[in-house]
Amino acid sequence: MQYELRTQVIEPKRKTFDNLVARYGDRPASRYQEGSIDIQATENFHFRPLWAPDKEIYDETFSVLRLTDPYSFLDPRQYYYAPYVTSRAAMFDAFSATLDYLEERGMFERLPQAWSELFQTVVLPLRHYESAAQMVSCDTARFGMGTTITQCAAYAAFDRVGNAQLISRVGISLGGGSADLLDVAKTSWLQDASLQPLRRLAEELLVERDWGRSLVALDVADQLLYPLLFTHLDEVALNGGAGSYSLIAQHLSKWFKDQRRWLDALYRAWTSDPELGETNKVLLAEIVEKALASAQTAASAVAVRADQLVGTGSLTAVDESAATIREFFRALGAPMKEKQS
Amino acid sequence: MTATTAAQRYVGVDIQESEQNRAVVEAIEETNPDCTVQHLPGLVRIKCLGRIVITRDSVEEKLGRDWETHEFQMAIVSYFGHIKDWDDDEIVIAWDH
Repeated sequence: MQYELRTQVIEPKRKTFDNLVARYGDRPASRYQEGSIDIQATENFHFRPLWAPDKEIYDETFSVLRLTDPYSFLDPRQYYYAPYVTSRAAMFDAFSATLDYLEERGMFERLPQAWSELFQTVVLPLRHYESAAQMVSCDTARFGMGTTITQCAAYAAFDRVGNAQLISRVGISLGGGSADLLDVAKTSWLQDASLQPLRRLAEELLVERDWGRSLVALDVADQLLYPLLFTHLDEVALNGGAGSYSLIAQHLSKWFKDQRRWLDALYRAWTSDPELGETNKVLLAEIVEKALASAQTAASAVAVRADQLVGTGSLTAVDESAATIREFFRALGAPMKEKQS
Repeated sequence: MTATTAAQRYVGVDIQESEQNRAVVEAIEETNPDCTVQHLPGLVRIKCLGRIVITRDSVEEKLGRDWETHEFQMAIVSYFGHIKDWDDDEIVIAWDH
């Protein structure tokens, strides 16, 4: 007797959830889509927030920046829990390997005095800035509209704790295994004149109720600080014989590149919205101009301190970053001011 | 035997069906609008008259991360046609004659 082997295709009854079929057609959806799109509750809220009687607990009007369809923004990295965690675990492992190497070779002891001081008085205090940034990101995760946005914000919040941890670990290594330097850094954060504008900026962001405004303002500050500290000074460090600074800086600048991807996509979504795009452009221009004013003061104070210690041209680097930011938003169609203030 | 030209014959790839490879399949569908996609158990067969192009940019966009063309080897089970071009930016499968 002979058997004939044949393959039989069994069509699945459903390829994906109905809401995704309505959006993208009847085809298998990715896990990112299934876990992100239309997830946020939008109706049947039983309790109204007593602290904001005019709003629902999840409400579009918690920010002036809005999207007609909140899910028109998608995370270009397509992070949901598993890929996010995998990618961050890899980042942390890479950082640990760097730190082990630096400790093994006693690289921190060999650091030129000026760079050691830069770590102590400029970089270590930034763990408090990161902490504020975490709170601001959490605020977006809570009040933002649309899971694709709030999900990115929640991951960004975890990232900021992670960054603060990286900085703290550097501080502990620098202090030869004790956390004393972190205490000193906290005093610097509270008292050093070079950090006060930045602390003021961070604290003002904490009390901003509009999540869109605080998210953009934080990002503007980041876009001045990160390129200054971890790209510009990285370059200077390599030329100035402070290789260990550069080895640490690469991890933070790599993270910042990753962070930019979703924020830039969000800006594009805001400005290209079919109905609210024009309103958003005007709002963004206003928010960014205002944020740039305080961020530039804050970053310049840090830059001046960095220049005193090691650098050359840190102030110019801040100005260049500010010009880049203006150019970026102008390219998106936001009516930015022509001349910088 | 009737002679057919290269443009009249199908080229195609069989790609293992998985979460990762779905992005590759979607990218190929988008880059080659005329292709037909057939779902077999565990496999996806994509065929197209004459020529199939797989570009790095399109896959990266769907995948949300960097993708190098050599990773395509991990996705394919089989192919028919001739691999004309395989560089850092694109893979072209077509018949020579």
